[in-house]
Amino acid sequence: MYGLEAISAHNGWAMAIIGPLIVMSGLTILSIIISQLHKLVAIFDKKAEQTTEPLVEIKDEISVPKILPNDILETAKIYQMLIEKLEQPFELSDLYQIAEQNSFPHPILTVSRLRDAGILIREGEGLFIWNR
Amino acid sequence: MELLLQFLSNTGFYLADYRNFIMLAIGSLFVYLAIAKQYEPLLLLPIGFGVLIGNIPFFKGFGLGIYESNSVLHYLYFGVTSGLYPSIVFLGLGAMTDFSSLLARPKLMLLGAASQTGIWATLLCAMALGFMPKEAASIAIIGGADGPTSIFLTAKLAPHLIGPIAIAAYSYMALIPIIQPPIMRLLTTREERIIRMPEPRSISKKELMVFPVIGLFLCCFLAPASIPLLGPFFFGNIMKESGVVDRLANTARTAVIDTATIFLGLTVGASTQGDVFLNPKSVSIFLLGAVAFSIATASGIIFAKIMNFFMKEKINPLLGAAGVSAVPGSAREVHLVGLKEDPTNFLLMHAMACNSSGVIGSAICAGILWSFMAS
Repeated sequence: MYGLEAISAHNGWAMAIIGPLIVMSGLTILSIIISQLHKLVAIFDKKAEQTTEPLVEIKDEISVPKILPNDILETAKIYQMLIEKLEQPFELSDLYQIAEQNSFPHPILTVSRLRDAGILIREGEGLFIWNR
Repeated sequence: MELLLQFLSNTGFYLADYRNFIMLAIGSLFVYLAIAKQYEPLLLLPIGFGVLIGNIPFFKGFGLGIYESNSVLHYLYFGVTSGLYPSIVFLGLGAMTDFSSLLARPKLMLLGAASQTGIWATLLCAMALGFMPKEAASIAIIGGADGPTSIFLTAKLAPHLIGPIAIAAYSYMALIPIIQPPIMRLLTTREERIIRMPEPRSISKKELMVFPVIGLFLCCFLAPASIPLLGPFFFGNIMKESGVVDRLANTARTAVIDTATIFLGLTVGASTQGDVFLNPKSVSIFLLGAVAFSIATASGIIFAKIMNFFMKEKINPLLGAAGVSAVPGSAREVHLVGLKEDPTNFLLMHAMACNSSGVIGSAICAGILWSFMAS
């Protein structure tokens, strides 16, 4: 069986309508929930603050902006602080780890951009050096 | 003399037919593209070499071929037919994925959902071409542009088509730089391509930790058949985000996913034995795969343009092309096309948001198709 006849016989039209509707509604609900997630987390944080004594704030060794600049050279300047903590050459996993420990936003994407810009240079055997 | 003749009649040279040579040429092409052109080498090299291994003619009955029940390749192939390797790949993928850009801009998730239109349109096309519903569903999932998901669903619904579907899915993933940019340019104007996306807000660690739990509940309650993919995916992600099992997360995103990718690629490649693989069905599957992938790309872009009618803050419609789940190939391509128009417009982070929602969307589609076919 071929053509429209085959589609009708195998219930294809119904599947092609209901299927995307389910996916779209599922992901729409998920996106609505995650758009409100920060408010929910903030409520729980407030409650937790009220019930616990204020903790002594430990200052990070490295101050990280909440959003990295678009300019890759500016981003590189910020990453320079991390690089100074690593021995050259280094593995990318070490850089990811130290970036995550210091709460750098989007370390995987940023490192990829730094590689594309030729700031992180592959030295072979999985090691990289920083192009100063 | 008789022994020598008998030996010669068992060699690959004697047993070969033209189909083996065609497949050996295809395998060599894949290996060449992977090494010389660096087109998705992590996928094409294992698959290409697997095609070479699988198409060396051999004496049947020695337990050598992938389809012979007592062969080593057959045991390795069990990971494909059982859906084991795709689940492991999803575990590693989850441990690699950074959802912060998606959490910062949840609207982009809709582009991941819209791109799945390619799957449903191809389902109709495949049925119209005379494929049985389970075969049509397996072919349609190529439109998700997700190799492991395609293999997983095909293993469950139409195991006899794993070879051509896997090869088609991975080939189109490798050909993203060739397929997607013309569609992007065709469907967008220059003004649209230079739209800048605002910087995303910063995301707290807590949000990142809660997301995999919410995602798991919502997606898997909606389509329980996607548990084998999305379960490990979100588990990998919570391992990464919780920070309490860094060692496990690191293993999942390196050694574990790499091992699964090696065996997945090699055995899928080896499953393309000329006598099984080269038939008119495989050609149709390749054509339908191209249709699926193109529709998926186009529908994401068109949906982004439709969203722009209703939104004050415009979305760069190129991002719609990253709604397919080819991570990170399609996001990279969106970024590069954007950069060509405006070298200071960085779309990568936003495209990754669409990409990761595409992974979730295609896994849900696989679950829905599986439940449709089961019922």
